[in-house]
Amino acid sequence: MPQSASVAVIGVGVVGARVARQLTSSGIPVLLYDERSDVRHALALSLRALELNDLTKLDPTTTPVVVLATSSAQSSLAKILLELGHHVVCTGDDVEDVREQLQLDEIARHENRVLVVGAAACPGLSGLLVAELAPRVDTIDEIHVAFHGTGGPGCARQHHRALAGDAVGWHDGEWIDRPGGSGRELLWFPEPLGGKDCYRAELPEPLLLHRSFPEVSRISARMSATRRDRLTARLPMMSPPHAEGGVGGVRVEIRGSLNGERCTEVAGVAERTGIIAGAVAASSAMALLNNADSISGVVTLGDGRLNDRALLDDVIRRGITVFEYIGSGA
Amino acid sequence: MLRRAIAALSLACLFAAGLRLRGRGGTPPERGGWRELTRPPS
Repeated sequence: MPQSASVAVIGVGVVGARVARQLTSSGIPVLLYDERSDVRHALALSLRALELNDLTKLDPTTTPVVVLATSSAQSSLAKILLELGHHVVCTGDDVEDVREQLQLDEIARHENRVLVVGAAACPGLSGLLVAELAPRVDTIDEIHVAFHGTGGPGCARQHHRALAGDAVGWHDGEWIDRPGGSGRELLWFPEPLGGKDCYRAELPEPLLLHRSFPEVSRISARMSATRRDRLTARLPMMSPPHAEGGVGGVRVEIRGSLNGERCTEVAGVAERTGIIAGAVAASSAMALLNNADSISGVVTLGDGRLNDRALLDDVIRRGITVFEYIGSGA
Repeated sequence: MLRRAIAALSLACLFAAGLRLRGRGGTPPERGGWRELTRPPS
């Protein structure tokens, strides 16, 4: 990595601002771009980052890595950036957008560049947690991911849509679609969140985890919701979302066998969603700055190509505390 | 009629007392839950 290599962050909402803050705190020069020039200017001043007024001025020799933290679809911009010679980190969680990002593998390989798909809280940290838990069992049969909370307003709108969409899942070797808002399960997150009713939703997690762990026979993803969330999911949002959600959570459960016995391992995080997403995206960008020469193509967190253990180490160093569930001992 | 009702109530009380005294509900777990992730050295 050249000493002056910088990272560009496109979109400086809740997640983008956190990514930029994490990177500047690591001594990485950051370029900020956002259509809202006042927000971009204020953040650049507070972080001593550089402002980028025109995306066409991005130079892959000085800015090899670009983090996309926009609330809109990211695949088309990711494709352009790959073709221009940048490594790209995407943070979006829209299922169709993620499908399109996964299809950019050939372009990324052709350009000898890396596209990290789903480098946020969920997806993102969830994949790293599965990779962390996986060595504890001999074989994994099932992965079940749950998510609570939202980052910024764009994230809140996306989750509102997700609850009304078709929840994709991997079930005994085939893809299934179930209605969002169905399949209630009471799941326990680390404190202070505690128990939350979680439902199926249109989340990209199964797509990405199946790519990272193709041998697993069942993969599902759920998100927490209240009765009002489910009732209004198919309507426009009744009230504008908060500027930033409160404490969110990621919970990962793997089921498998160890020494011939069934076993379950659970890990989770309770932290503001924007902070989790910012830490994961920043760690991914740092990993690309340091290691991207050896790999190319689409990378999903948990697939082992970016050294998931080192990535989780970096995420923890950035202040995210990861918990494991140790049962009641009863 | 009243005698039958009293007898039924008495039987019900005896049955409930038996369950209460000989039940195995125990106390809910007071340990366990979440702890910070322990990771083997790399």
